Amino acid sequence: MTSKIFKSTVLLGLGLSLTLVGGCNDVSTELKAPVYSTSIKEDSTRISDFKKDFPLQYASYMKNNESEVMTEYKGSVNFRKNDNVNPLPKGWKHAQPYLKNLWLGYPFMYEYNEARGHTYANKDFLEIDRINRYAEKGGLPATCWNCKTPKMMTWIAEYGDSFWSKDVNLFRTRDAIDEKDETIGCANCHDPKTMELRPYSEPLKDWLKRSGKDWNTLSRNEKRSLVCAQCHVEYYFTHKDNGPAARPVFPWDKGFGPEDIYQYYTEHGARDASGKQTPFFDWVHAASGVKMIKMQHPEYETFVDGPHGAAGVSCADCHMPYQRVDGKKVSSHWMTSPLKDPELRACRQCHADKTADFLRERVLYIQNRSFAQLLKAQEASVRAHEAVRLANEYIASHPDALNAEYEKLMAQARDLVRKGQIFWDYVSAENSVGFHNPTKTLDTLMSSYEFSQQAVELAEQATNYAISPALAGDIKTIVPPILEHSRKLQQDPAHLQTNPWLKLLPVLPPADQVWKEQEKVAAR
Amino acid sequence: MEKPRSSPFLKIFLCGLLGGFVIFAIAAYAMTVSDSRPFCTTCHLMTEAGVTHKLSTHADLSCNECHAPHNLLAKIPFKAKEAIRDVVYNVQGADLPLGPNSVTREVVNANCIACHARTNVDVASMNVKPYCVDCHRNVAHMRHKPVSTRMVAYD
Repeated sequence: MTSKIFKSTVLLGLGLSLTLVGGCNDVSTELKAPVYSTSIKEDSTRISDFKKDFPLQYASYMKNNESEVMTEYKGSVNFRKNDNVNPLPKGWKHAQPYLKNLWLGYPFMYEYNEARGHTYANKDFLEIDRINRYAEKGGLPATCWNCKTPKMMTWIAEYGDSFWSKDVNLFRTRDAIDEKDETIGCANCHDPKTMELRPYSEPLKDWLKRSGKDWNTLSRNEKRSLVCAQCHVEYYFTHKDNGPAARPVFPWDKGFGPEDIYQYYTEHGARDASGKQTPFFDWVHAASGVKMIKMQHPEYETFVDGPHGAAGVSCADCHMPYQRVDGKKVSSHWMTSPLKDPELRACRQCHADKTADFLRERVLYIQNRSFAQLLKAQEASVRAHEAVRLANEYIASHPDALNAEYEKLMAQARDLVRKGQIFWDYVSAENSVGFHNPTKTLDTLMSSYEFSQQAVELAEQATNYAISPALAGDIKTIVPPILEHSRKLQQDPAHLQTNPWLKLLPVLPPADQVWKEQEKVAAR
Repeated sequence: MEKPRSSPFLKIFLCGLLGGFVIFAIAAYAMTVSDSRPFCTTCHLMTEAGVTHKLSTHADLSCNECHAPHNLLAKIPFKAKEAIRDVVYNVQGADLPLGPNSVTREVVNANCIACHARTNVDVASMNVKPYCVDCHRNVAHMRHKPVSTRMVAYD
């Protein structure tokens, strides 16, 4: 009996020590992300190719199909961003009513919607009115596909630099692209063989080269933002005088701020007779005649020196938080508004001592103020365009009654209209409504307001204040916001009479729709 | 009528004494090991805590220097209770933990004071903030550092 007790004691002790010894390996601080060896094709562009090997990430990615939930300022309903009149899904309480006016003469006046999940990128691309669907040709370069599909890698391998300036509509049919399976997907950020993060983007790779960076030596932390910076950035299309026509470029050589980007665009346009680059411009504003720059979603540029970005927090930290699914910890691949989560778990990986309500209030504190100032900066910008337009008219009809320096004054005024609009558009086009960088946002809007105001004053001075009475009063009465406009409506002369600025547009020749998504509906 | 030296009573007594000593030694050893980072990080759920601990100034102290009461009478039941909860939690495969509960907060804070009382002897540093880590925030596992410096997938 004694030996039995002794034996069981020893056994128990042995068992216990084995358990303890089992946990004797200390953690490694190297934090190696898992690397795989898949049998997926190296040049795969299809999301479905990845489904079998990575079911958790695939399922998470498919959550991007959710297109119903709105937050206070953002969300996933693709409402028209100028429409604060109609209810969802057409309009939304926080819309920017002057967008169509401010982009008069540019495809953005036809349609510009709230962004939604990556899974809709191709669908929304094929339905947008910015690309001409009333003719065989879309009138825009194939570069427009650059941030919509991993198919870009195939096309660039096939056509090289001649791809960019082909017409966008050459690639919209079913034999060119599978709308659903080849939308933004796994291959845009992952090497299909190892699943390591990799850039597919030509303009980002160009910038890495220009700035002396090598992807392979970058930290995992930098890559967790740069995969997003392949697309969530301001860009422009190369002018044929300066390189392959329509090749996309990120204008970052002088820095990421609005002033840096404005300075960058004082060059990079067509070359003049002496071979010098003139200022770049995207379009000529149809009311003021000013050569304008369009800003596009500068998320990376905005965030990179903000409170989170400067502290090294990456895009993925907030937009792809780790979550436990089936007991496994994986990055969420539902890239959407972090504010949709009632628990704000993504934030609380760091702000563990804060409640979700507190954190949401802090975001809204920034967004409420940023959005209010944005609308004011846009009103000032409309007034600036109108001032230059009135001055142009006045100068044409009163060549004798002008300020002696009117040419110089008008040149300055036009430049300030352009600069003011670059500044507010830098904020407007950015998708965090200030949150990614609160100080830069409000500083940029204040500067924008100031430039637009100066433009008004200079245009008034150029006409010896003859246009001042016409500019006095509420800008919404002087230049009413354009609520409705599209390529179809522009074929209707009566529609163009409904707004003083629409009168300035040419009537488009009547035409039936040629393209409906991937389908050709009329032979022309 | 002297009892023989090798009476069964003495044998049993000595065996018991030896057994008790061995059990005590194993228990003491087990208590120490199960306080330590290698033991705690056996569950991958704890990797983030383990990595940030190992990178921190407190790396050479065990987890339970902070996370359990120092007093043995309080420590044993505390460890048992926490262990059961952690095992259940881990088996359930629930979502990521979001920081310590209020009981653990109190225990950790008491242990800040246990080691750093002398530093704070002349100041009312416990009067304004409820916890020391309300100011010494990154002592709470470097929570404000970018996620990639703390975690990887499949841990």
